[in-house]
Amino acid sequence: MRLRYILKATAHSIKHRKSAFFISVFSISVSFLMLCAIGNISFGIAAATVNRSLTFPLVVGPVGSSDTSLVMSSVFNADKPNGTIGYGIYEKLSADRRVRSAFPVIRSDSYQGVPITGVNSAYINEISKGFSSLAQNSKADDIFGEGGLHCAVIGSKIAARHELETGDEFYGSHGHVGDEDAHEHSSFVYRVCGILKPTNSVEDFSIFVDLRSAWAIHSHHHHEHEGEHDHEGEHDHEGEHDHEGEHDHEGEHDHEGEHDHEGEHDHEGEHDHEGKITAVLVKTVNPAATAALEREYSENGRTNAANVAKTVRQLVQYMNKAETAAGFFSYGTLVLVMLMVFVTILMSVNERKKEMALMRTIGIGRFPIAMMIVCESLFTAFCGILAGTAAGHILLAILKPRIDVALGISLEPFFFTAVELNGIAVTVVTALLISFAALVKIYRMNLTEEISRD
Amino acid sequence: MDPTARLELKNISKSFPSETAGRIDILKDVSLTLESGGVLRLAGASGSGKTTFMNIVSALMPPDSGSVLFNGTDITRLSESGKDRFRAENVGYIFQTFNLLSPYSVVENVYAPLAFAGKLSGDYRKRAVQALERVEMAGFADKLPYHLSVGQRQRVAIARVIFAGQRLILADEPTASLDGHSSGLVREVLHELSRQGAILVFSSHDTTFDLFRTDMTFNLETGVIS
Repeated sequence: MRLRYILKATAHSIKHRKSAFFISVFSISVSFLMLCAIGNISFGIAAATVNRSLTFPLVVGPVGSSDTSLVMSSVFNADKPNGTIGYGIYEKLSADRRVRSAFPVIRSDSYQGVPITGVNSAYINEISKGFSSLAQNSKADDIFGEGGLHCAVIGSKIAARHELETGDEFYGSHGHVGDEDAHEHSSFVYRVCGILKPTNSVEDFSIFVDLRSAWAIHSHHHHEHEGEHDHEGEHDHEGEHDHEGEHDHEGEHDHEGEHDHEGEHDHEGEHDHEGKITAVLVKTVNPAATAALEREYSENGRTNAANVAKTVRQLVQYMNKAETAAGFFSYGTLVLVMLMVFVTILMSVNERKKEMALMRTIGIGRFPIAMMIVCESLFTAFCGILAGTAAGHILLAILKPRIDVALGISLEPFFFTAVELNGIAVTVVTALLISFAALVKIYRMNLTEEISRD
Repeated sequence: MDPTARLELKNISKSFPSETAGRIDILKDVSLTLESGGVLRLAGASGSGKTTFMNIVSALMPPDSGSVLFNGTDITRLSESGKDRFRAENVGYIFQTFNLLSPYSVVENVYAPLAFAGKLSGDYRKRAVQALERVEMAGFADKLPYHLSVGQRQRVAIARVIFAGQRLILADEPTASLDGHSSGLVREVLHELSRQGAILVFSSHDTTFDLFRTDMTFNLETGVIS
């Protein structure tokens, strides 16, 4: 009965100051909308990153590229690769008993801002969950097999964004995403031979082609340019780029000559592509093998190896810092909003002081009166939290396709993040503090003075 | 209603600070006793201390010195929650104008003090409507206070006292803003409650109250109790 009376008084008070109530709720909602967006997008990025690190624990790339750059360019397709390594490195790793499987990748071209990655069929089998659409004569388990030189396998989001279907053709642009001198390879056409099922990861935003096509196109491109320009006087690369060792895989791991040149020639990757790859993604047999291989391939002076989990952890820590900073900004906004709520609650108390005094006069204790204030404050906060959280998640669900494509993540719009839960805690605690501050006013109220006030 | 109600004021003094005279004594060493059914009329001009007297008797304001005993309990020594409970169970306070709580309907206003005190029992709504019938307000049971005139609100305040069966009724100018009919009804009900054993303390400039049975008159201007 008492609770019903308390709630009725709360409802009455809110009803009589609708504008202040709605402004308070709206302000809290906006803060929660921000928290919702920050939390979910940060979580989406972190989740995508961490998931990826579980697939390939180790990546081996050229010496000179930092761990972060190596991981970002080869694992996440999100950075320009920094040089190349010989294909022999991949072969050597494949033969290593500490390696469960290894996958060569090459990055150099792009299509309308999307990096094109050269891989082999085994890589596609490793990362995909199958094909949602497959071209005739293409084999799902050996997509780049016979006749697969011009085959392009595209992620589900890329297919949707560029309205590509199996059988469609496109040309890649020479150069990495963002390169100013990027230009179309009009003589080499890619044909979409498979569209991957959604994986909710970076694959959804990727274009994969056969490793050999990446070599072929650049070899072809190199000859085209030789014909177009008289390089003889300017660049005498003939001698420089005749790296026999690169193409001679028969001796399996005799790449000494190849690697001797890697550090010397900046243009190597650009002009003599066959046998060159950007990195090798490695699945090891256990973490100890990862650590040992990382050490070996980092200390040989020719390659750099990055522990993906370790690098990702550092990245996530940085992201967490950014998230925390953004979160604090939002929490700060939230506290400011709650201060505004405090002012409106205080105004409400002032307006009702005489009525509260009458309540005390007829024997209604301070506790139920205090509860009326607490209820009003908490109800305002909860409405704001509910409206903001609902609006935030619904908005994320609506904007998910755009956000996913823009950030290359797979957003979970209805996932509650720690940022939001912290926000709820901050709001509820602030609402209670507001109530207690207002209660001081009630407890200090001079009853007879209030009753006699006109 | 408990017929043994007894209000006893012992050497009550109360003064307020004054800009000109240091402190002004409103009540000075006041002692009086009222038994069940006793009626005390407070007389004196505005500002003479009639409301202060009622506030002290209802434990809303502490005296500077002295004690107020109700049925042997010194209410000046009660805790704040004890005072709240004392008012809810024993004191029916009727003000000149401001008597009802705006969030609640008329009938809810009647049983609000006991509802908050957790003392409602039986068919309380029926009894509340009966109390409203006594003051000719049963037809307004579910209306909100803002629908009522001042006189109607006053009558609802009296219905609240009837419902709670409070033994100490404090009426501060209860008919000042009322029309003839409402005024007569208020006087009639107060008289009836007094006859049933409630102690009635009232102040009024309404001359029709001159015919009202009073056991005692306290003139706060002169300090004389007669």
